[in-house]
Amino acid sequence: MSRVYIPLILFVLLILEGVSIRFLPPQIAAGDLLFIPHWILLFLILVCIFYDKPRTYHAVIYALIFGFLIDMIYTGLLGAYMFTYGFAMYLTHILKRAFHGNFYVSLLLAAIGTALSDIVIYVIYSVIGFTDLYWTEYASVRLLPTIIINLIFLVIIYPMFVKRFIRWRDEQDWSS
Amino acid sequence: MSFLRRKRLFIFLISFIILVALIGYSISERQEASTLEKFFNDTVGWIQSAVHVPVSFITGIAGNVSDLITTYEENKILREQLSQYKGLIYEVQELRKENEELRKAIGETDSIRDYEPIHATVISRSPEQWIDEVTINKGEHHGVKANMVVITADGMVGKIRTAYEFTSKVQLLTGFDQYNRISATISKDGKNNIYGMIEGYDKESKSLVFRIIEESEKDVKEGDLVVSSGLGGVFPAGLVIGEVKEVGFDQYGLTRTALVEPAADVYEINHVIVLDRSLEEREEEVEEQQ
Repeated sequence: MSRVYIPLILFVLLILEGVSIRFLPPQIAAGDLLFIPHWILLFLILVCIFYDKPRTYHAVIYALIFGFLIDMIYTGLLGAYMFTYGFAMYLTHILKRAFHGNFYVSLLLAAIGTALSDIVIYVIYSVIGFTDLYWTEYASVRLLPTIIINLIFLVIIYPMFVKRFIRWRDEQDWSS
Repeated sequence: MSFLRRKRLFIFLISFIILVALIGYSISERQEASTLEKFFNDTVGWIQSAVHVPVSFITGIAGNVSDLITTYEENKILREQLSQYKGLIYEVQELRKENEELRKAIGETDSIRDYEPIHATVISRSPEQWIDEVTINKGEHHGVKANMVVITADGMVGKIRTAYEFTSKVQLLTGFDQYNRISATISKDGKNNIYGMIEGYDKESKSLVFRIIEESEKDVKEGDLVVSSGLGGVFPAGLVIGEVKEVGFDQYGLTRTALVEPAADVYEINHVIVLDRSLEEREEEVEEQQ
């Protein structure tokens, strides 16, 4: 079942990211701070920690596919999100071996993953010229608000999915 | 182990090359989107327009409540304005009729003010906020083409960047740079109009930069209305762009520029109108005949 559910949920998140700005109050949305939803990345970090086994790379593959979809549907700059998300998930895959999977570890890995991918995206975009923010300004205007809002999202989805992921992982064992 | 490490490095380098190639492909001057992009944008757009309805209903509730609180005050002001407009409507109708008759008399029926409106709904906004882009639910199938102007009831909001079959991408005014110029004008009573170009959006002052070309600029005042002039060949004339906020010199001190505050709110847009300029087709027909 997990083979159907995980892509389906990712697809729903992809659609919801497009209307994410409506969930913010208009005064904040029109303000100076930028809140970028990295919901697909966060969901995949949970997949990576609780569903993937040390030898499987589901999260990395999904990150590449859905990163590419984000590029096509929302930014038009192919490759940026695909590369960034894939890279961040691969690092998470390596890092998770050093920790036990629990709430605080997922929070830590999510913070690292979000920060890393947002910085890589900033680097790519400033090289191309989509943005000309200086990096100190970028850190306060976009990086911090983005990390905070994404960690709040993680706290919301954590109780909804973790038990299911562990169950699906065990089902994987039975079927294989 | 060394083999494994080499393999990892190899994969990383290959993916980096793919990244650079893909980025190079997507920022090159493409006339049309690739088939793959068209397919995914249309498929996802179809689902987005289904999801958009319940989401905007839920998020609208909070807005509705705050609207209700201010209703009484607003109602008073609107009623006053309405009585003024009634007189204005009569005047506009008379002028329009007269204008039409005069046009018939000289045998020129189309003007650069005419356009065919295509009504559309905004179904999503790019989560990447450095790319000021929204998706609307009308595409080539409904007559939308690239570079058409997009307005709301308040004024201009942007132009079509790419048109897919059933959806299209709108580049908002806030994302305009020096490559997306709009020929604009400030209309003056009894004097020469002031012509210039909108040369992009300044993120720091949150306003459009209006470079004044005509030399009769001495009387640009704050609060003057900037409208499109129709001289650019793509946009129809007479669309409201914004109000002058500040007048100053450009960075070299050679020309005067005005900072223009956009009339339309680009953060809360739901319904937009895509304008298809009628005159252009006629020109093409004339060219074909020749």
